[in-house]
Amino acid sequence: MNLNYKKATLHLLLTASLLLVLLTPQHLFAQADSTKVADSAQNKEAVAAEATEEESSLISPSVEFFTVQKADNTIDLKASVKAKVKGTFYKLYKVKITFVQINGDTEKELGFVITDNNGKAVLNIKADSVKTDNEGKLHFKAVYAGNKQTDPAEEEVTIKRARLEITPVKEDSLLSVQVKLIDIGTGTEKPVAETALGIFVNRLFNPLKIGEGTTDENGEATVEIPGNLSGDAKGNITLLAKLDENETYGNLEASSVQKWGTPVSDKIEDQPRALWSSHPPIWMLVTFIILMVVVWGHYIVIVYEMLRLRKEEPHPLPNATIS
Amino acid sequence: MELNSYQQQAFNYQRPNIEKFGKKNWIWAIFFMLWILVGLYALYLQIAKGHVVTGMRDNVVWGLFIVNFIFFIGLSYAGAIIAGLLHLFKVSWGKPIVRLAQLMTVISVIVGPVFILLCVGRFDRLHHLFIYPRIQSPMTWDVLAILTYFVGSVLFLYMALIKDFAVYRDAKMNIPKWKQKLYKILASGYRGAASQKRHLIISQNLLAIIMVPLSIMVSSILSWIFGMTLRPGWHSTIFGPYFVLGALYSGCGVLIVAMWVYRKMYKLGDYFTEKHFTNLGYIMMVLAAGYGYFTFSEYFTDWFGSAKWDSEVINKLFSRHEYGWWSLFANVVGILIPILIVAIPKTRKPNWITFAAFFMVLALWVKRYLIIVPTLETPALPMQDTRMEYVKYTATWPEWALTFAGIATFLLFFTVMSKFVTVVPVSGLEDTSHHPHHEHTTEEVKTEKVQIA
Repeated sequence: MNLNYKKATLHLLLTASLLLVLLTPQHLFAQADSTKVADSAQNKEAVAAEATEEESSLISPSVEFFTVQKADNTIDLKASVKAKVKGTFYKLYKVKITFVQINGDTEKELGFVITDNNGKAVLNIKADSVKTDNEGKLHFKAVYAGNKQTDPAEEEVTIKRARLEITPVKEDSLLSVQVKLIDIGTGTEKPVAETALGIFVNRLFNPLKIGEGTTDENGEATVEIPGNLSGDAKGNITLLAKLDENETYGNLEASSVQKWGTPVSDKIEDQPRALWSSHPPIWMLVTFIILMVVVWGHYIVIVYEMLRLRKEEPHPLPNATIS
Repeated sequence: MELNSYQQQAFNYQRPNIEKFGKKNWIWAIFFMLWILVGLYALYLQIAKGHVVTGMRDNVVWGLFIVNFIFFIGLSYAGAIIAGLLHLFKVSWGKPIVRLAQLMTVISVIVGPVFILLCVGRFDRLHHLFIYPRIQSPMTWDVLAILTYFVGSVLFLYMALIKDFAVYRDAKMNIPKWKQKLYKILASGYRGAASQKRHLIISQNLLAIIMVPLSIMVSSILSWIFGMTLRPGWHSTIFGPYFVLGALYSGCGVLIVAMWVYRKMYKLGDYFTEKHFTNLGYIMMVLAAGYGYFTFSEYFTDWFGSAKWDSEVINKLFSRHEYGWWSLFANVVGILIPILIVAIPKTRKPNWITFAAFFMVLALWVKRYLIIVPTLETPALPMQDTRMEYVKYTATWPEWALTFAGIATFLLFFTVMSKFVTVVPVSGLEDTSHHPHHEHTTEEVKTEKVQIA
């Protein structure tokens, strides 16, 4: 009786645990994929459909907007558009972003760019083609006009004109760069002091930070460069001075190419031994074949012996049984 | 087919297990099948939605599936080595457990590689492994080695079963006709003639000779998937023997647990005696000591070397906030406790040894997790995307469901096989102590033959 009770309890517990697993909503366990990119029309439609069905309102995207003032007297206007749907951000690709300069009450359209697969749009303008206001500032706006499924969105940025200069200095074996930050908003050049600047070197994917410095009263800073950086085939490296996310000037960049690196050949050398070599080493092939032949040879002998079992079967006695 | 009275007795005793698939068996089988169904649903989700339903990401690309693969394949190698050595050295006390070891060999080598298939993202390119193999890749070695090993282990099991199939064929059992026919085909015309005996012995000996080194080699090759990779925690010269020993050790544990279960379930206490538990317990203890020694060597050299990435993995393994508790569990429950339980005479009893073996098997599963995941969570190159789910691996429910489905498949195979063949082999059985059901003198056993053919 007691045993039956135990058995019944065990069965009940097992059934309950099974039901629990079967009936528990999957999203409680499964990880959400936060890496989704709206990189296909289907995806976009799905985003829109989800929104119309469940929220019965338009998707509200947001625009991120910033500028980069470059040493060649141009300005990059960079914008990206994304939208949050059911807790996941989707980058909106192939949508039109219009860049506008605001000057008092008037707005001047600078051009438009269609966002790329990552939802980003970049417009490069000549700095001389835009006029600063009385304070030497520039006001820009990135506008996404919206469509049937999404709300419009826009973002404004105000920057003051400035210039970043990078001068390579080589004294004996000591390498350094002198960087200078100058305010050019009001027409006259004014050095900008007490500002932190980063020095980078371009690498395959992203720039690698190799040092930083703070400008003095002349707007200058000197940063030492290591002498053992890998360069291209000729030993060239691209040095980059950057001012990032400054409240007044936004982002600034200046670069200089120097033959200060160790030459690294971009030719693919013959690999003496690699996973992708066309042939394995001979010894490996020989060992492999010997091992395989030995083992499979044994198998063949064994199967042959097994087949002989049936051939050599004696005739059973008529009453041969096990009781 | 000729059996002595002891073997006859063993057959008669186990005969109902083959003739009847009882209610209890059905309940277990259905329970396992339900788990497999849940696993199949998880597999459907994985195929429909992709591997994003698992916890595996760009960085930690291997998780539970590979842990299970290594675990099951390890059991298989252990089964082959144990069965092969017992056969070669003609260990008479080991005869009743050979069948279990061989079943474990074949069933594990079927279940284990399925986890590799679950881990592969592109099923449609699977055949590329065979049509574009690269002999210089450890992956290719592993695929070919496991395939070769699978054929060998099936042959090994079959060879050992032929005599028993002949017994089942000749016995007038109350079984369906298809089963009778199947036994007849599988018995391969064996009647116990002298020439047949000779062929069978040659085959079995050859196979046993080849299976032992083959298992050691294949287990080493499996370890080289890790050992040949220049990653902290993996790139080690002792990984080959470490994996061989780990496989043997966990396999020994599963064998003890299987023995205990069948001893209870089919009341086979007269065949799986205390002696078997004690002897396997001693083997387990020696293997535990060896395994502990390897583990210590592995951790100690990494720790002493203080190489940056090695230290990082070691810190992860022993940090209370990361894998410290799991490492403690793996080493205490997986190494120390089995040694203590077998070493102390009072606990050197079947129940205690099985208790130690069961938890040791769990601990060794955890140990496999600790070999794979912490290393992958320590990339030697800086990561581009450091979202938490990229840095840390957490198994998701589909992975757990498929893991349990794998275990259920393993147990279901055992359940079904124990209804198809006798768990204790009949034909090769020797009376090493006294007769289980009625007293016999040795003389009686020698002379009392049951003439069948």
